[in-house]
Amino acid sequence: MLTAEQNDELTQVAAGTPMGELLRRYWYPVAFTRELEEFPVRPARLLGEDFAVFKTPRGSYGILPEACPHRRASLTYGVVEPDGVRCPYHGWLFGTDGTCLDQPAEREETNFRDRVRARAGQAQEMGGLIWAYIGPSPAPLLPRFDVFVMDGVRDIGWTDLPCNFVQIMENAVDPHHTEWLHGRFFEFMARHQGFDAPPSFGKKHVKVGFDAFEWGIIKRRVVEGASEEDDDWKIGHPLVFPYNMRVGGANVEQMQIRVPIDRTTTRFMLYTVHAPEGIEYPDQPQVPDYKIPVYNEDGRHRVDYVEGQDMMAWVTQGPITDRTVEHLGRSDVGVTMLRKMFKENMAAVARGDDPLGVTRLPHDRIDLPCEKNKFDAGTSFAIDFIDKASSRFSPQADALKKLHIKAQENRKAAAG
Amino acid sequence: MTAGLAGFSGASGAGADAGRGWFPADAERHRRDAPRYCPGCAGPLSLADGGQGLVTEYWTGPDRVFVCYCGACGWSGDIVLAGRVIGHEAAE
Repeated sequence: MLTAEQNDELTQVAAGTPMGELLRRYWYPVAFTRELEEFPVRPARLLGEDFAVFKTPRGSYGILPEACPHRRASLTYGVVEPDGVRCPYHGWLFGTDGTCLDQPAEREETNFRDRVRARAGQAQEMGGLIWAYIGPSPAPLLPRFDVFVMDGVRDIGWTDLPCNFVQIMENAVDPHHTEWLHGRFFEFMARHQGFDAPPSFGKKHVKVGFDAFEWGIIKRRVVEGASEEDDDWKIGHPLVFPYNMRVGGANVEQMQIRVPIDRTTTRFMLYTVHAPEGIEYPDQPQVPDYKIPVYNEDGRHRVDYVEGQDMMAWVTQGPITDRTVEHLGRSDVGVTMLRKMFKENMAAVARGDDPLGVTRLPHDRIDLPCEKNKFDAGTSFAIDFIDKASSRFSPQADALKKLHIKAQENRKAAAG
Repeated sequence: MTAGLAGFSGASGAGADAGRGWFPADAERHRRDAPRYCPGCAGPLSLADGGQGLVTEYWTGPDRVFVCYCGACGWSGDIVLAGRVIGHEAAE
């Protein structure tokens, strides 16, 4: 339970608010790489602000506020040129750093051009996504988390959800929900709607634990029949502060991304890499992306798959969950820990320090802890993951299953 | 646990989601009982008092636990309104 003021502060995203200033210290995915290959400029909304994101013919990426500094026409309709993007209205040209390079209707000898500058962010490509930083300079490095740079077959499911991102992140430090939402509830719906629910999600939690670490919070659990020697406890998996969760198991590696588009809209992305050992991966000139369903035709939530159940639980809390009327119990200590972490890092930003998870150290890859043997379920987890979770909507779902099955056969053959 | 609206003073400023059920007495008790000052530096914790702290309440058995963080000095800890005093260590 929080006071209304604390809930208000925790759920803000706007510039000038403590939470908005914290969130502006991180890089976010704002487009798919393929989108700018298909057309070189497009709109992007992030933290309640509207931008034009573009790729020049020279291969540079840029992100500028959508409204042209001249008379506020949209740069998302701009003409992309080797040096930047030109406003469609009067042809003002802006470089990727926001410098105004040309004002065709103004006289050459004035310095008007030098007095106008767009407030540019920075944009880079990684792993089939365009990433943007819109905070103060100097920008930190784009963290190269393992999933985005590892070998394997990639797949991105996504949708936009009508709720604040913090209530989604609180789910990432709530292990008990798995046993109910993806266990008992899944089984209940399966019985009534005539499909099979995976048995691995319903195992009873005997113990849960949370450890703060350099990238966020590691979540641990012991399920019935397992012990502290099993991966779910010994390794666990992390909430990657402030808007990701790393999850996976059985050669499926995933980052669940929750981008705060604005205060009551969150882009939910499931960035998955299928990386079974014992097989050569096919080339992927483009990473497939596909929209996952949230609702049925009758307007009710679609809850016959894992993430559909999660989205139901997040969205039905309301656009901003009213934490003045919640009742937390001891099993919610992970939630209290996350809220404290947000607050600690708002204070760090107010002091002028870098918050948790901002990196300025050059690196090739950041490996995150993540269990391999999920729910003590063995390799059946990979097939369940594709059949019963969002990957079932992937255009390459069948090929992914074949990849895991073939790799397993190869590993068995190699082992004799 | 639920209480009638007559018991609600409106001081929490909450209730945006009241149509789906809400608990004015609990919200009111939270505002009344949440620690207001930091045990470390005595600075205000709540935004309403001009502080920069955070106090999250959860319940365990008969106790109410306030997970506190002070934005001024960095102190962090749990303050428990204990329903009863137990003389032995709770089972894990």
